[in-house]
Amino acid sequence: MLDSFEILTTSGVVLWSRSYAPTSPSIINSLITNVFIEERTLPGAGIADDVSAANNPPYKHDQHTLKWTTVKELGLIFVAVYRSLLHLSWIDKLVDNIKTLFVDLYGDQLKKPHTTLVECHFDEYFDQQIRELEKTALNQDSRVAESAALVEEAPPSISQSSGDEPPPLPGILSRGQSKNAFKDLTSNESTPVATPETSRPSTPAGHILTGKAGPGGKGSRRARKAANAPSAHASSGEESYAKKNRAGKAAAPKKGRKWNADGLADEDSDTPLDYSAPANGATSGEDEVKDRSGAVEEVDSKSWGSKTGGRFVLKDLDDQVQSILASADAKKSDTAAAPAGIVGSSLSAIGGLFRNVVGGKTLTKEDLDKAMKGMEDHLLRKNVAREAAIRLCEGVERELIGVKTGNFESVQAKIQTAMESSLRKILTPTSSLDLLREIDAVTAPSAVSLQKPRPYVISIVGVNGVGKSTNLSKICFFLLQNKYKVLIVAGDTFRSGAVEQLAVHVRNLKDLTAREGGEVELYEKGYGKDAANVAKDAIAVAAQKGYDVVLIDTAGRRHNDQRLMSSLEKFAKFANPDKILMVGEALVGTDSVAQARNFNAAFGSGRSLDGFIISKCDTVGDMVGTLVSMVHATNVPVLFVGVGQHYTDLRNLSVKWAVEKLLSSN
Amino acid sequence: MAAMGRLVHALLNPSPLGLAIAILLAITIPIFLHSVVFRSSGLITLPSILLIGPSGSGKTSLLTLFERGTKAAATHISQTPIAVECSLPVGSVANSDRYRSENDPTNQAHKKFLLVDTPGHGKLRHHALENITNPQNLKGLIFLVDAATLSAGDEGLRQTADYLHDVLLLLQKRATGSKAAKALKEIPVLIAANKMDLFTALPAALVKSSLEAEISKVRTSRSKGLLDSGIGMGDAEDEKDDWLGEMGSINFKFSQMEEFDVSVEVVGGNVAGGEGPTVDKWWKWISERL
Repeated sequence: MLDSFEILTTSGVVLWSRSYAPTSPSIINSLITNVFIEERTLPGAGIADDVSAANNPPYKHDQHTLKWTTVKELGLIFVAVYRSLLHLSWIDKLVDNIKTLFVDLYGDQLKKPHTTLVECHFDEYFDQQIRELEKTALNQDSRVAESAALVEEAPPSISQSSGDEPPPLPGILSRGQSKNAFKDLTSNESTPVATPETSRPSTPAGHILTGKAGPGGKGSRRARKAANAPSAHASSGEESYAKKNRAGKAAAPKKGRKWNADGLADEDSDTPLDYSAPANGATSGEDEVKDRSGAVEEVDSKSWGSKTGGRFVLKDLDDQVQSILASADAKKSDTAAAPAGIVGSSLSAIGGLFRNVVGGKTLTKEDLDKAMKGMEDHLLRKNVAREAAIRLCEGVERELIGVKTGNFESVQAKIQTAMESSLRKILTPTSSLDLLREIDAVTAPSAVSLQKPRPYVISIVGVNGVGKSTNLSKICFFLLQNKYKVLIVAGDTFRSGAVEQLAVHVRNLKDLTAREGGEVELYEKGYGKDAANVAKDAIAVAAQKGYDVVLIDTAGRRHNDQRLMSSLEKFAKFANPDKILMVGEALVGTDSVAQARNFNAAFGSGRSLDGFIISKCDTVGDMVGTLVSMVHATNVPVLFVGVGQHYTDLRNLSVKWAVEKLLSSN
Repeated sequence: MAAMGRLVHALLNPSPLGLAIAILLAITIPIFLHSVVFRSSGLITLPSILLIGPSGSGKTSLLTLFERGTKAAATHISQTPIAVECSLPVGSVANSDRYRSENDPTNQAHKKFLLVDTPGHGKLRHHALENITNPQNLKGLIFLVDAATLSAGDEGLRQTADYLHDVLLLLQKRATGSKAAKALKEIPVLIAANKMDLFTALPAALVKSSLEAEISKVRTSRSKGLLDSGIGMGDAEDEKDDWLGEMGSINFKFSQMEEFDVSVEVVGGNVAGGEGPTVDKWWKWISERL
């Protein structure tokens, strides 16, 4: 069963929620961070408007699965949370229907500026939808004898929609549902209703539903008595509202009371119910003529007309919901096939041209297509990998469809700003990347925390020839200038000359920083040893001798060579570095995405890259697209940028600089 | 054609009717324009207070609490900024109304202001930072911190101090960077130590001292860190020194910001909690700034 359902705004306020089981807010928070802000899951379907929940990939967190959809113009997000073990085929439809209903009912309230308040009494609509969809799902599954009764009960639209519902639910669920929703029918035949709850640990919702219906019935009876009695406690408007509600709820599982009826059976036969409901309407009508006379009158006449007891409210709601959903469907199909005569089309074309210049035009896919193509080419020229460029453009396009351009703003300008903000969002790291403070926190933890000081371990990986050793020595130089004691570990035990190369770097660094107080040593065990073991030993030595930072060089490896990459997992386990940095060259084009992805995945499930160093940025001029490709593929931030041949030519990434370069046109 | 001519003739005649219409138009058009254009544009922009702070400090909760008055709504991580019209609670008087008579009928109306919430997620902080540099009648800045995550050596303290450092640095640059002779309006900062109801929360004084200590660390490590890319690579704009507070001082103190017309106060409170919210001191701070 559903665990919870929430409707929230993009500004973070929960407008309406219903929870059947306690769910931690962190579940939905993680959905927001990962899907909406960091776009970590594949943005195949996404933030676009009018995408049904079925097209949005479900998001899994812990043991929960989240189904969601959004309404962009109102800034709404609809999320349904349920246990991943369950397979709820109707959940997409629920989310979509709730979206349509909510927008239709409260859309104008949501458009008001400067407020977060939305008056909504959405509970009954939601309950109605749940009931209906569960019914539909059950209809699919149980082709049992009672179908006749069901069809009679179900509104026409349901029996229609049942045709395109997915195939049967797993038995366990259907049993649960049949128990919950249709116990009246199934119990008579003693189908496996009485399955123990222990087999379904996570379906309290159904109980809540039925639990509500049961006491609801009782409550309404009590209320009726109260209304008949001279006591005045039922005279408030609130009470009558609730009563109406309860009466409605009580009506659906009316027969269910009989099933339930161990002790209550005496006054539960159909006839008194049938008889008392109109009476109820009448009495309450008399009671609260002043308050809600209109509503009550209406209800009265209907219930008399149909003589079906308290069902009228439910029917009413059903009809309203059906009409809302139907009109939404109609609207959609209308826009899909928008017919226009010659005059109309040419007029709109002229208007479109005019608006193109003046602004105030609502952007459509056609408007954007050409300009987006131009933007894509532009990004490709900047050496952004094709995959990343296409996905970036798709994201911007989704963001812009349906948006109005400002005054005197052309489509191009709009795209330009949207692309700028989306590039900036991608490149900005989630948390600050202050390496020095992180090192300080590890090597000299505060007295209060219980951590022991230990050396900070950084390892550097990458494909062959991108400049791992060079960048390592640049970082080393930077650390030495800040007076750290650094141990460099020659983890490249494979390539001839690699150890000697590092030895030369260490000699140079020693000479350069001797005056400034830094200290650097090389740890090497020659060639042919296992790099993971060498690294482990080196860290032990560093801890012993009181080094602050350990920098581990590794052998370059081709990212699609499984044999070479597999040793990285062991390496990550043995050395357990605080930071694993990958060096990527700015020169590489399309391959950057695959490189970043493969290296990111190579360290096993619990570990990923912590940052990129993009080397050789001075050699590409404006074409710094590799930055974007790599970050886009993995969501790992760029830590440093290599901008020259000297030890000092290492820089932090300035997002502003990168975005300017990427969007500059030449 | 003849009809047309007659019409023109009639129109151009100095008839009393024509005169009356002309006078009527001459009088009504300005009134009409005034009522349509001027009224609808709104006389003044409301004074606004900006809410910033790291993610999870309770900004949106505070916003809903201030709007609804009694209880904060459930919230999740924000993605977009939102401005909400709030009014001062009964009994508090805005500073600008200080000298009004108590019997002034306009005093009865609540003073209204805009409370602007910003997302605290690392990737979305530009919303907040843009609002500081480009204020529309900005009266003050509330920096919310989660007092329960500020113990020494905590990750939360580092993130918070980083963000606060950036914000204060922006305010400082705004004060020093302006070339105009007219002095800019000062923007006071309230560091609202939220979640005081939690057991692990630090008291306001401790929040202040630990933030000051951590900002000192941020400041030194920033000064020692690498340059940003783009600087010294040809098109270098001359970046000024990014030292927050008094030059040469070893420890950062919030009082050093007063040199740049930024007064910083640390006040505790809580938005949620068993015994209801305690935000009276924050209200007081706001009313003093309006």
